[in-house]
Parts: sequence; structure tokens; C-alpha cells
Amino acid sequence: MPKLQRLLYINSESTNPQSPALSAAIYEPVAGSLTELDPTSDGIPYASVQAALIDGWRVIQAPDVWAGIGSDGAGEVIGFQFILEKIEDFDD
Amino acid sequence: MTATAVATDHRLADDEMASFVIRGYHIVQPDLREGLNQEIYDALDALDTNPGDGVLETVPQLNEVWNSPEVVGALTSLLGPDYEMFSHRHCHRNAPGTPSQQIHQDNMNDLRVSGGQVRSPDRVDLVLAMYYPQDVEQNMGPTCILPGTHVLNALPERMASQGNFRDQFIATVPAGSVVILHYDIWHAGTANTSKRVRYMLKFLFQRTSEWNVPSWNHDPANDAMIRTRLEAENPMGMQRALSAKQKHFRTRMWNRLAGDESLDLSYRDKWAGGAWN
Repeated sequence: MPKLQRLLYINSESTNPQSPALSAAIYEPVAGSLTELDPTSDGIPYASVQAALIDGWRVIQAPDVWAGIGSDGAGEVIGFQFILEKIEDFDD
Repeated sequence: MTATAVATDHRLADDEMASFVIRGYHIVQPDLREGLNQEIYDALDALDTNPGDGVLETVPQLNEVWNSPEVVGALTSLLGPDYEMFSHRHCHRNAPGTPSQQIHQDNMNDLRVSGGQVRSPDRVDLVLAMYYPQDVEQNMGPTCILPGTHVLNALPERMASQGNFRDQFIATVPAGSVVILHYDIWHAGTANTSKRVRYMLKFLFQRTSEWNVPSWNHDPANDAMIRTRLEAENPMGMQRALSAKQKHFRTRMWNRLAGDESLDLSYRDKWAGGAWN
């Protein structure tokens, strides 16, 4: 049974991992798996990056401190993005 | 009764206008004649090809929706009494199995304009009106809206990894509903995992002139309440820098809409006599 990487993207209100999560998406290492906006979801899986850490996720990329600001004309992105991973067993 | 008088009866109230300026959308439930929604659904379902901009001529019953007093009243409030229907419109046919779109802002792709689109974060000059001829349940590809983003500029590809937003609004609505959106709001069609086709008719309406008085049912006695709402409400969580930008533009938007009856924005003490915080 191979160990594969699951990815969790969380955009937080600030670069502080304890700040509220504004969006979240989990990417599974499964062929054909599609991660997208889900209109049937009850919300996002973690209230903060810290809550995800407590559940066993590990941060592999912290946000660029400039990433969520945007300059005039450059456009905006909601939140500061953390990327987390979990290595888990998956069926062949 | 003239068309103007009919519209006047259904103009929005201050509170509804403030909600539009803050959130960037307003939902109208017009009192349509019995059977109209099904007639329109069946007419669309019988089409072999996409009618494109010709959908209004192909399904003329749509005029009953756009001419309904409730829709006319809302559009009059937002765009002034001399608003007009724009020539582009689109019938979105969301079949079972259709995946979600990426969050985006619509773009006119106007080749006369550098970058294809002029955004107007403190104006309401153009709106999207989305009419749904059938009930839209959660699994039927409802439109997802990010409230309050109409005053910001989206970077869709940079946001493509974000998945669900904590404060996204999913427009599950009954048949006959018209969701009116500021043209610049961030939105997406979502996945249809049901067994039924979901139609959405997107029409555009635009302002044709500037007005120096409110075109909705305005009462200056509400100004303090409106200013408090514009300064305080957060329909969608975002970083503090964007939240401040959003509040700045929404206040300017209100004042442009209200013309001579704009809010007094001079300094006032909001704290004296209140609770410690």
C-alpha cells in the first residue's frame, strides 16, 4: 500500500496560522479526483491552519507576505495561502 | 397606470439598496403568471442549438420576466429610470455532470479598452440579471457568489486552488427568481450533480444617464443607519487591507448613486457614550 501525499490549501485572514481560515481545498492523490467549488458543502473543513495542524497536517509552504495585498491595477486575492500535507496510505 | 408608476411601486427601500452596495447582489421574486416558468423551461429544452443573443426573440416569454414590476422596480432603483437592456445575453444550460466553474469576474473583452474591461468599483453602471425558470437546489449547479467582491479586481488563475470559501453565498432559489448582480462581482456556476438540466438566463442592463437624486425609495432619515451599515458590515471575511478598501469604495458608491442626497462623510465621534471596547 503506497504512502501518498494529500494536499490542503488554506487561505487565512493573515500570515498568522492562528488567524481565521477564509477558504480551503483538499487535493487527493487519486486518479480522476476533482477538487472544485462544492455548492453542497457545509463550510470549510478547518477554522484555521492551527486547527489543521492539530489534526495532523504539516505546513510545507507558508504564504508570501506580499501575496494577498495586491497593488493598484494588479488585482486581489482573498487571504494568504498556506499549503499543508499529510502522507497517508492509499490502495493501489 | 404607466410603466414608470408601476416601477415606482416596486422601487427598493434604503435598506435594500444598502444591502446591494455592501453585498453586490439583490434577489427579486417577481409575481409571474402561473405556468410561465415551465413554458420558458420547455421552450429552452426544445432548442437544438444555443440561440446566443437571439434567445429573447426565440423565447419571447422572457419579456414578461424583464417587464415585471418587481424587476423593473429593482433595476430602476439601481440604474435610474432610463436604464436599458444591453444587446448581449446568454442562456446557460447546465446539464447533469457539468463541473463547477472557477471563481471569476465577467469580462466584456472590449477591444477598444486596454485590458478588455473597465472596472468601476464605486459605480453601478451595469448589472447582470440572472433568471432561473426552475427551482435551483444545492446539487443543480446554483450560482456561487462571493459577497462584497464587486469593488475588487479578481485574479482567477491565482485563486484557482482555493476551493470553497467560508462565506460564499450559494444562490438556491425558487423558480422565477431573478438574481441581480453588480457586473464586477466574483462568481461561478457550480457543479450540477442532479439528474435535471438547470437553465439560467443571463441578461445585462445598463445605466444610460447620471441622476442627481436617488432613484429608489429614499428617506434621508435613514442616513445614519445607512452610514453605520456601510462602515461596519462584513458579508465576507478577507484580509484587513482589502476590507478597508471595500468599505471605502462602498461609501463612494452610495454617494454616487444618491447624487445630491449623499451621506455627510465629515468626521463624527462614534465612541462617546458607547460601551468600552
